[in-house]
Amino acid sequence: MNTTSPLPVASPPGAAPRGAAPARPRARRREGRGALVAGRVIVLAGAVVMLLPFWFMFVFATHSNSEILSMPPPLWFGSSLGDNLRELLARLPTFWQNLGWSFYVALATTLANLVFCSLAGHAFALLEFAGKERFYAAVMMTMLLPAFLFMVPTALTMSWLGWTNEERALIVPAACSALGIFLMRQYIEAAIPRDLVEAARLDGCSEFAIWWRVVLPLLGPALGTLALITFIGSWNNFISPLVVMRDMDRYTLPLALRSLQGSGQTPWGALCAGAAIAVLPLLVMFALASRRLIDGLTAGAVKH
Amino acid sequence: MHAAAKTPHRRRPLIPARWAPYVFISPFFLLFAAFGLFPLLFSVALAFHQWDPVGGVWSMRWVGLDNFAYAIARDDWLRKAMFNTVWIALVSGLPQHLVALPLAWFLHRAFGRWRNAVVGAYFLPFITSTVAISLVFSSLFSKDFGLVNAAFSTLRQVPVLGWLMPGQAIDWSQPGYTKWMISAVVFWRYVGWNTVLYLSAIQTISPELLEAAEIDGASPRQRFLHIVLPLLRPMVFLAVTLSLIGNLQLFEEPFILTGGTGGIDQAGKTAAMHMYAVAFMDGDFGTASAVAWLLFLLIVGATAINKRLLGARA
Amino acid sequence: MRRRALLPLPLACLAARPALAATGRATLTVAAFPDLDRSARIAIESWAASHPQVDVRLTTRAFDDHHTAMTTAIATGANLPDVMAVDMDYLGKFTQAGGLEDLDAPPYDARAVAPRLARFTLGPATGLGGKLRVLPADIGPGALFYRADLLARAGLVEDDLTRDWASYVAAGVKLKQATGAYLCASAIDLKDILIRAGLADGEGVYFDAAGRPQVTSQRFVQAFTLARAARRAGIDARIAAWSSEWSEGFRRDRVATQMMGSWLAGHLKNWIAPAQSGLWRSAPLPAGVSASWGGSFWAIPVRAERKLLAWDFIRTLCLDRAQQLEAFRRLDAFPALLAAQQDDYVAQPIAYLGGQAARLQWRAASERVPALHVDRYDQVAKAIVEAELDQVLEHDKPIPQALADARAAIERRARRHRAPRAPLLEDRPCTPPPRPRIAAAR
Repeated sequence: MNTTSPLPVASPPGAAPRGAAPARPRARRREGRGALVAGRVIVLAGAVVMLLPFWFMFVFATHSNSEILSMPPPLWFGSSLGDNLRELLARLPTFWQNLGWSFYVALATTLANLVFCSLAGHAFALLEFAGKERFYAAVMMTMLLPAFLFMVPTALTMSWLGWTNEERALIVPAACSALGIFLMRQYIEAAIPRDLVEAARLDGCSEFAIWWRVVLPLLGPALGTLALITFIGSWNNFISPLVVMRDMDRYTLPLALRSLQGSGQTPWGALCAGAAIAVLPLLVMFALASRRLIDGLTAGAVKH
Repeated sequence: MHAAAKTPHRRRPLIPARWAPYVFISPFFLLFAAFGLFPLLFSVALAFHQWDPVGGVWSMRWVGLDNFAYAIARDDWLRKAMFNTVWIALVSGLPQHLVALPLAWFLHRAFGRWRNAVVGAYFLPFITSTVAISLVFSSLFSKDFGLVNAAFSTLRQVPVLGWLMPGQAIDWSQPGYTKWMISAVVFWRYVGWNTVLYLSAIQTISPELLEAAEIDGASPRQRFLHIVLPLLRPMVFLAVTLSLIGNLQLFEEPFILTGGTGGIDQAGKTAAMHMYAVAFMDGDFGTASAVAWLLFLLIVGATAINKRLLGARA
Repeated sequence: MRRRALLPLPLACLAARPALAATGRATLTVAAFPDLDRSARIAIESWAASHPQVDVRLTTRAFDDHHTAMTTAIATGANLPDVMAVDMDYLGKFTQAGGLEDLDAPPYDARAVAPRLARFTLGPATGLGGKLRVLPADIGPGALFYRADLLARAGLVEDDLTRDWASYVAAGVKLKQATGAYLCASAIDLKDILIRAGLADGEGVYFDAAGRPQVTSQRFVQAFTLARAARRAGIDARIAAWSSEWSEGFRRDRVATQMMGSWLAGHLKNWIAPAQSGLWRSAPLPAGVSASWGGSFWAIPVRAERKLLAWDFIRTLCLDRAQQLEAFRRLDAFPALLAAQQDDYVAQPIAYLGGQAARLQWRAASERVPALHVDRYDQVAKAIVEAELDQVLEHDKPIPQALADARAAIERRARRHRAPRAPLLEDRPCTPPPRPRIAAAR
């Protein structure tokens, strides 16, 4: 249990005294403007490289198959977007339903994870109980097995429960992920000051109230991270829907888009158009989560 | 916002303190018991059976340790796959973090308003769909027409950098280059993710601390090495653990980049790909489960080492 | 929510449900992959009209996803369709296990209708116990597609390519010198063709009927030798099929020929090289080899719910002349039904191939293909053989050693191939009690 080298924490103990205004402004060592500009250029160039395949995906969505599968591939938008969208919807009449199901499953899974994982993380990080480390080890073990080994047992379980073709078969098993618990435990151990929790306990708060009023508000960045991982993971998952869903109008989006690929001529333009639409909610999710994650929680600095 | 509420009423807590821990972790364990335990036990049992799933659940046959013996002693493709996996994990994993850390620091201090947009650009690969990736990268890495080789040939003109560039167009499907191609794509995919993690961790370092150091004359590099890095250690541990687990289970990127085959000489076949092939092509779920548990041991070992190196000191 | 218990197989056999519910509509589930799902859709249009009380639900999945999902469904008995598509690549795995219904048994009696189908398809369609487990819908008779204009420029004629393999390689060298174009996309294609040369009915490509690997036989030696000769002569472009470079290679006149199933003509016309209409021709495979690429089949899982309805639907898919011709016209799916192959459509000239009535040639080719035996480990053997061929082509490994290593690897991986095992419940045919036929026989 560490208390000395915290994870993101507002003010590490033993740091420079806060509140003490600098005596007088000393001459700062000015960083060379050149170095700063050069650094920015490199980072921006890197960003362009990162964006490139993503860019191509959007460009391909506006071209026909022949144009896409030619060398060199098209670099700028074409004129086939309408055709591609029409073909996408013709081949996948359930496209919008699939999009909706993906949303529903991802949102439900994310909310469930936020609640359950923070509860479990709280327990592992702040409470003592019999068999704690053994439980934790069992939790971690589930993270380390590849997903496809779960295919057959999942199909069996779902058929026993009668949940085949139901969305809950996707949400419930993923409602409390081991990864989330791992994240939460790490963060809580590092960032929540123990004395705060002790103080609340002494005040007679129930554990649940401590979780709700003390721990959760300070968990901003971790919740943001978990929300992001869970949403993206759920959105892109196709293995579970593959074995659980029977009807195409209940598919989630990745499975539906994949179903365009077969032994015939894959409609790459339509596929990229679908993939481009499928990625937009993830972009929005990132924009929302990044405010918590990156803009940080300086407001969460705990001032005693 | 005040973290602690004012003194709450003294009333009987909803959950007695003794039971609180168990109630808190019960959602996980109920779900685990229902949906995690069974698959876990199933795959443990499977590892000791021979099973071709197309024969139905009842066609399993007990073979004891035969699957493990085969996997360890006689499966040459598994050995190659393990080597590939570790190779790719290192070559793509180390840069992922060695680049993400300074990048996060630089983004934090040098980008101001544009920071979120730039981070977003780096994060995009993480959310790009694999279908698009397979299509785009197969064209980018083409030998004669790909942009990567085109970039190399233009860079060859640049004086100093040009000497490092390969002399001719690279055929990326050749076994010598397959792993580099895969590592590049994995790096591309995950460096933004790590950057976001580190950036979020940097956010919560007290700004006054950094300002004070700056005023005291510390250069950005010194601030980075002596303040930021040590404070980021727990996040580094977390990020590296996640990387380890993800990279040792790598499946999607090598699968789509080699068209599912693992490439010439099995150069691009990872352990997870081999497992999948054994299960669905050889029709041998038993051996696949045995391999999964061997890989599991490897990952446990790696994360234990990681914990030693980077983990929190008690 | 109704709780459904997982029924053990014997109980499932005994409790076979009637094909039509006593009240309300029945549902027929069909599972396929693109583009086969499009021919299924065509069949649904006509079949549903004559079966108004049945609700047909078609589920499409990606090619590999479909077979993975079917494997899982058969393994667990959950989410099984009534009618299941199987591609040639996966056929051995499914037919050699006990998960597919025995179509020889009553009430299907597929043997009675088997003579109406392309003869060679019955080899792969025969599975466990020597019974028909699937019914073929379409086939891909092999043809050599070549650029007549490039050949003419090099002073070559079709016969130079097809006479024998020596002249094939020589023609390739001449073509390269004269036009700079490669004769074939990859030397691996040549291996694929030659290992199918000279096979008789009942033999398998990689395994004989008893399950012994055949990779050290003369066939394979010749195949590897030819592939190596082609590589050394510099006539192959070392491009993987279906990659962007492959399609671009055709467009840019870098690759002059391609040996593949007859359906390649449709791909060339639609998207690979639409601008080259009139420049391509179709020829029989060199040296009189007869081979077939791919092929789609339909099956009924043993634990499906509506087997008789499923069989009725499959009869429409595979035995109905109008359906087969419609799929032929719309999707370029060469029919497995002999009656459909006799239609006038086959004799019509194909504009893209310069007016050649190529379908006649493909039909003739399909008559010569032997009825091969497919093994459940065919894909494993294929991967191993290709890995060894890579060693031969890239690293100059001696051919006898490569083939010996391949044989050893196959025996290792397919090591439980012939292990004796107790007869399983699945091995016993699960015959539903006789039921009246739903539709009149066509």
